Amino acid sequence: MSVTDRFDGIKGVISSDSRSRKELIEGILFSLPYLVIFGVFLLYPLVMGGYMSLFDWNAIDPTQSVFIGLENYQQLLNDSDFWNALGNTGYFALLTVPSIVVVALGLALGVNRDIKGKGLLRAIFFSPYILTVSVTAVVWVDLYSTQYGLINHYLGMVMANPPQWLQTRLTAMPAIAMTTVWWLVGFSFVILLSARQSVPDYLYEAAKLDGAGTWRQFRDVTVPQIRHAIFFVVIINIIWAFQVYGQPYVMTSGGPGSTTETLVMYLYEAAFAQRNFGYAAAIGYVLTGILVMVSIANYYLLGGDNE
Amino acid sequence: MSDSSATENRFESFTVGDVSLRNVGVHVVMYGAALLFVVPYLYMITTSLQTQQQAVAEGMHWIPDPITFTAFTDLLTQSLIAQWAINTLIIASVTTLLVLLVDSMIAFALTRLDWPGQRYVLALIIASFMVPGFVNIIPLYILISDLGLLNNYAAVILPFVAGPLGVFLLAQFFRDLPYELQEAAQLDGFSNLRIYTHLILPLSKSILTALALFIFVWSWNQFLWPLIVLQSEAAYTLPIGIVVLRDNFTYQPAVTMASALIASGPLFILFLLLQDQLMSAVEMQGVT
Repeated sequence: MSVTDRFDGIKGVISSDSRSRKELIEGILFSLPYLVIFGVFLLYPLVMGGYMSLFDWNAIDPTQSVFIGLENYQQLLNDSDFWNALGNTGYFALLTVPSIVVVALGLALGVNRDIKGKGLLRAIFFSPYILTVSVTAVVWVDLYSTQYGLINHYLGMVMANPPQWLQTRLTAMPAIAMTTVWWLVGFSFVILLSARQSVPDYLYEAAKLDGAGTWRQFRDVTVPQIRHAIFFVVIINIIWAFQVYGQPYVMTSGGPGSTTETLVMYLYEAAFAQRNFGYAAAIGYVLTGILVMVSIANYYLLGGDNE
Repeated sequence: MSDSSATENRFESFTVGDVSLRNVGVHVVMYGAALLFVVPYLYMITTSLQTQQQAVAEGMHWIPDPITFTAFTDLLTQSLIAQWAINTLIIASVTTLLVLLVDSMIAFALTRLDWPGQRYVLALIIASFMVPGFVNIIPLYILISDLGLLNNYAAVILPFVAGPLGVFLLAQFFRDLPYELQEAAQLDGFSNLRIYTHLILPLSKSILTALALFIFVWSWNQFLWPLIVLQSEAAYTLPIGIVVLRDNFTYQPAVTMASALIASGPLFILFLLLQDQLMSAVEMQGVT
């Protein structure tokens, strides 16, 4: 079941007498460039971050740092700004993840139908995903603008007082979420479309013979057949949502008030505005803990089905 | 259930020629959605070609009147955008080449050579998938600063190259290439280096292209990390630059949209040329 097992077949194929000293040296030489970069720029910082989170870290002179055990983590528990950021991030995930999955699924099933210009539609729905977050954000700030924005221009035709999207507490986060759906839905769309296309036609033929209508075919054939892709899309979007940073940073700077301040923004501020590196490292570890739990839950949900 | 199929049949029976009403409905919904998706691009393009007066005027002006390139010329003369474009291109290109090189090498060692410990190396790399990028921000920043790499492109490139995605995708692909070819090559006296350069790499062109595109686009688009380690304005990349510009040219939507177009234009051209490869990289991620 584990991913490494899938690679084990190789060993049997290569004849055993080639398992030599030469092969060991070559294996190491071929692996070394990546492993050095991986070790220095990924593994080492990861371990270092955990170590730092146990200190009142002195940014100017690290040797003056004081070991405080789990105090940073305890402090987090009583930090209302942290809970606010966690709550905002959870709210953002709640707004975006279901929307992205539902919209992506709808678009994927639509494009999969007998429709003209499939290639064009596929390209259009995927295309925002290749934009950088800052382009996405600055364009949408102008679309939402109350002075010259496109959205309120058209909304103004049908309602008296269109919302001041990014300026009010009630609408700021949903507006950021809407932007995010447009920006990221393409990834999930492509995954779900490719999953749907690999469902064999005879399953639908059989369902039709049994008298199943469109809804029954969707519920009893499509969804069970592509459930792994759906799980994957849900998990990856949760992971992305909990790391949200660029959209609120550019669109609202965390405002109004601190209603769109997210966890990564809070981490960034703790580190680079307050120079509280140990505390920021602890925030990073808590967030990682959340995401690892999501990944593990995912692994068991999928694994349970596989065996 | 019998209800829904009855409705369906009723719909199917409303046919004009061979086009059913339901099929027309699907077309309307899908093309309506496509229009909504495209509107931000149209807004970006049309606004970038407007005068300042028209861009901030009441109402929506889909056709700029007059069409002007002032926003673009202002950008090129009054900002560092050309420099930023070059910086971004350099960073994305070097990152892509490095990823292709080191990832394909280790993927080759993990799938095509037989040495003790390869299992654990692979397991470690796969486990690192779970590490979200931002958790490393602070220790990485300290490391980069200790190494004297702040404001250096290496600070942007190397942490990106450490990512495990490419290794994993390539290892998956190499593993499925037939071993008979390798054995035949070995009988012909090919060294492992030669097998890597003359057999495995040429056979893997499709996946290498898909990965290269994906890495290039991702690297071009990085935002938070370059923002942290690139500290002089001349060293900025486009994604950071357009935010700086927006703040410098406050309420000048034509300039902002022109900068957004410049920042995303090259990626769009790449996308139009090679969209199938890009999407197949995404599909590979779904399969893994």
